[in-house]
Amino acid sequence: MLYVELTIQGIVQGSIYALIALGLTLVYGLLRILHVAHAALFTLGGYIGVIVTNQTGSLTLAIVAAAIIVGLVGMAVYKLAYEPLLSQPPYIALIASIALFIASEELYRIIFGPYGLSYTVQPMSGHIELFDGFRLKYVEILVISMSVVILSVLGYLSLHSRMGIAWRATVTDPSMAQAFGVNIQNVRYLNFFIGSALAAIAGVLVALLNNFVEPTMGSVASYKALAIIVLGGLGSIRGTLLAAMLLGVIESFGTIYLGHLIDRDALAFAFLILVLMVRPQGLLGAK
Amino acid sequence: MTIKTTLLAMAVSTFALTGVAQADNIKIGFNVPLTGFAAADGKSALNGAELAVEQVNAKGGINGNMLELVVYDDQASPKEAVPIAQKLIEKDGVVLGISGSYSGSTRAAAGIFQEASIPYIAAYAIHPDITRAGDHVFRTAFVGEVQGRAGAKLIGEMLGKKRVVIITLKNDFGKSLAAGFKEAAAKFGIEVVSEYEYSIKDRQFGPIVSKVKSDKPDAIYASGYFFTAGPLVSQLRSAGIEVPIIGQEGYDSQKFIEIAGAASDGILITTSLDRDSSVAETKDFISAFEAKAGHKVDMVAASAHTAVHVAAAALAKAGGMDSAKLRDAIAATNLLTSIGTISFNALGEVQKDVQVQVVKDGNWHHHSVISDAALLAPPVK
Repeated sequence: MLYVELTIQGIVQGSIYALIALGLTLVYGLLRILHVAHAALFTLGGYIGVIVTNQTGSLTLAIVAAAIIVGLVGMAVYKLAYEPLLSQPPYIALIASIALFIASEELYRIIFGPYGLSYTVQPMSGHIELFDGFRLKYVEILVISMSVVILSVLGYLSLHSRMGIAWRATVTDPSMAQAFGVNIQNVRYLNFFIGSALAAIAGVLVALLNNFVEPTMGSVASYKALAIIVLGGLGSIRGTLLAAMLLGVIESFGTIYLGHLIDRDALAFAFLILVLMVRPQGLLGAK
Repeated sequence: MTIKTTLLAMAVSTFALTGVAQADNIKIGFNVPLTGFAAADGKSALNGAELAVEQVNAKGGINGNMLELVVYDDQASPKEAVPIAQKLIEKDGVVLGISGSYSGSTRAAAGIFQEASIPYIAAYAIHPDITRAGDHVFRTAFVGEVQGRAGAKLIGEMLGKKRVVIITLKNDFGKSLAAGFKEAAAKFGIEVVSEYEYSIKDRQFGPIVSKVKSDKPDAIYASGYFFTAGPLVSQLRSAGIEVPIIGQEGYDSQKFIEIAGAASDGILITTSLDRDSSVAETKDFISAFEAKAGHKVDMVAASAHTAVHVAAAALAKAGGMDSAKLRDAIAATNLLTSIGTISFNALGEVQKDVQVQVVKDGNWHHHSVISDAALLAPPVK
């Protein structure tokens, strides 16, 4: 019974990781940039979620607002920070990204205050009783179902919509895609919009799980999402999703059975090293 | 030309004025995290310290000289705290230093103050090594072990709960609380069923909560700060765990109640500030702080406020800024402050009662007082 609960907790955590890491892997697949500042957008999503919910009382509106606003901010980050650096070696963009991330933490602290924010009335605070006193919280159901629905819809669109096909073509061969009339600029904007919106939704969901957002909320997400996309095989979307879920479950069990030996965060990297020793290209990466 | 001259004259006179004013001021150094992960506590501590300075100055300062707080942001980081301590001593020429910061940075700065023979008071940093830096270092907060022992008495004797799960924040704060708790547990008939550890970055405790549920304890002793304890308590309660949860001063903030919401009701903590106190010092502090800061009072604010008052009383008693006299005056402190009457032992550790507070209707309230001098005896070496 305990194992079932731990597995479910792992899947909840894995769903959050998946939403965050997907944006990162999308950016890497397209531009070969390690977008550390992605985690700052996750935090911004959390803040917008709490503020809009507290002002309007509507969680749905909050999720939509967070996704759209943060999606636009993500596009702006690309336009202002990354686009001017595309001709430079990738580590220049990485440095810019880290700087942006650190600056954003302090910016949130100045704008929203150092104490963090909570929902005045926490939405979805109920639960269903499954078996033997085992509870599944509405929030946890929301987390799992939202990530499944969102990721399936995106997967479908990438295979069957014009924009999705253009996006896949651009990832495979940008110059060829351009020669066939794909507007690369639009593809990049869309990429940043979707990736950032997903991070924002993850931010709102984490804010719901914890009833708390704080300026440094993205700090764990920033490096763990990097570990996940490396683990999955850089740029591989399926690999990222698999890695996110695996890591969620491994952390869940590891916290209980290895907690005295190794930190939950260190666990992710220990697992990463183990996998890379056997499969240097990551779980589902191309050789 | 005229404008230039006027400006020059203004600049000169301003300089002269500040020059004169500063010569008369007594400077107290204050390192505090104003940015980074501990900025929330830093902000409260700074407000508490500033309030104490304002109160002292409003009453005419120290023998006519005004107190001046020289504040630097140490980001709760040892590598920031070292140059700050040096700057405070060498450049600013402070007569004493106060830490409004966490253990890591306080420990680093304590050695520097000790070496310069300048007194240094840790307001709420709890690592045992801080006062071991030497005879010039004092602390107005309990070391973790003392508070851990108080927690054991509260759970085992006062609440009569014997099967206890410990959830420990994996840093010096949480570890020393757990050590003190376990040390005294047997004395109060407590059986520690199991202990789990989490990192300061964790906000999601799903796996631990599931495991605690299967442990079926009578009570939970959980260390943490409001930003970890809020989510932790809320997740324990929403999983259907209804047993008493006992925390410590790290919870001691209105923010904890905001984050945990209804789940915070009935949570007990061992701390130093009594919200329902009838003592004038405490009542004045609480109302003045809330007017100044615009939010409810917390433990770090009270501790920083106390540390400044200890410094001010010692300055008045020493009758000058001589470091040796000032040190002796602090060591001989017996002062009624916002956190009760305090004195220091030979190591510079505070001796005071432990306040037990409970959350009722969304506010911290008086529950009980633990004043067992033998149990609460701080380390002497």
